[in-house]
Amino acid sequence: MGEVIVVTSGKGGVGKTTTTANLGTGLAQLGYKVSLVDADIGLRNLDVVLGLENRIVYDITDVTGGHCRMRQALIKDKRYDGLFLLPAAQTKDKSAVNPDQMKVLCEDLRQEFDFVIIDCPAGIEQGFRNAIAGADRAIVVTTPEVSAVRDADRIVGLLEAAELRDPKLIVNRVRYKMVKAGDMMSIDDIIDILAIDLLGVVPEDEMVVITTNRGEPVVSDDRCRSGAAYRNIVRRITGEQVPLLSLDEGGFMGKIRRMIGFK
Amino acid sequence: MDSKRTPNGPVSDEIEGDENTILIRRTLRSGQKFYYNGNVIIMGDVNPGAQVAATGNIIVMGQMRGVVHAGAEGDEAAMVMAFRLLPTQLRIANHITRPPDDEVPSSTVPEIARIKNGVVTIESYPTGLDRVFR
Repeated sequence: MGEVIVVTSGKGGVGKTTTTANLGTGLAQLGYKVSLVDADIGLRNLDVVLGLENRIVYDITDVTGGHCRMRQALIKDKRYDGLFLLPAAQTKDKSAVNPDQMKVLCEDLRQEFDFVIIDCPAGIEQGFRNAIAGADRAIVVTTPEVSAVRDADRIVGLLEAAELRDPKLIVNRVRYKMVKAGDMMSIDDIIDILAIDLLGVVPEDEMVVITTNRGEPVVSDDRCRSGAAYRNIVRRITGEQVPLLSLDEGGFMGKIRRMIGFK
Repeated sequence: MDSKRTPNGPVSDEIEGDENTILIRRTLRSGQKFYYNGNVIIMGDVNPGAQVAATGNIIVMGQMRGVVHAGAEGDEAAMVMAFRLLPTQLRIANHITRPPDDEVPSSTVPEIARIKNGVVTIESYPTGLDRVFR
């Protein structure tokens, strides 16, 4: 029996879809069987980020509406054998699916997969209620901005009301230099308000934009920091204890300064 | 026995026995609103975007960062107390206040807000030891 995890945030543009794609790819790299579900009906993106857009025949509404079998709608990833995508519909809206149908869908998927990861749409309306209906666990994504943290707080409250306890937090797009200069909220500031467990911190990285546009999640890239951050998060999801990545870019001078004793 | 009598003797106005008081053992998050006819004690934080209103006093055993309204039906004797009093807006009866725009809000000790001479005043709340050794 697999586990159903919903990736949510409240605010748009903080990186839910990117996070979903990277976690799914990362878990598949470790050999798990993973299904990604795009619950953002009407504004589907997950297929684009994964580079699978041109393979879509059936979508989530076809499955819930009984027009096709689950196997027909699931798209196999081009790089990893264990990774599948259930795409959203683009020509319908959020009301095309209801929470009960989502519960049934998640139950079906968890029979076959180790992890089912649901990409939640922005907002707190029906799309959000659909996305969380069948989930066991929730991951809340935020960026170090007051507005995103405020929305994340609202989401945590709504998740609690929906009996989804102990959500985990991913802080995305952190710029270490700005945090150090006091121009950006620090991880501590965010935890202070949200008071939930931190699952990981992803630094701001141009590689995310580049890889997303190419349709190849950054987690597969061994050289960049954001990829390493996602790989650590993936390992934490599987229950491993992994220390947080040092956000200090440091470099040569930084090392020397540390050796002499300057901070 | 009079309900306003303390265990070891004299009649005291400091014990309020007639009002309802509710204990909330959780954090109020953005978008959550709580109204109560009586006093409210919150064991947890009140986050930005949350609202608490009570006809009586409000005590937050944590950080108070949201909108708070004590004495919501006009009781000018009502007060707000918090371990860290950093509200977005603080209302007592029909007085509405907010922190000054040019100051970075900070709070390191428990504080209490109440109306003194017609103005909402915030003072640090002396703990037992401070009172004794003052």
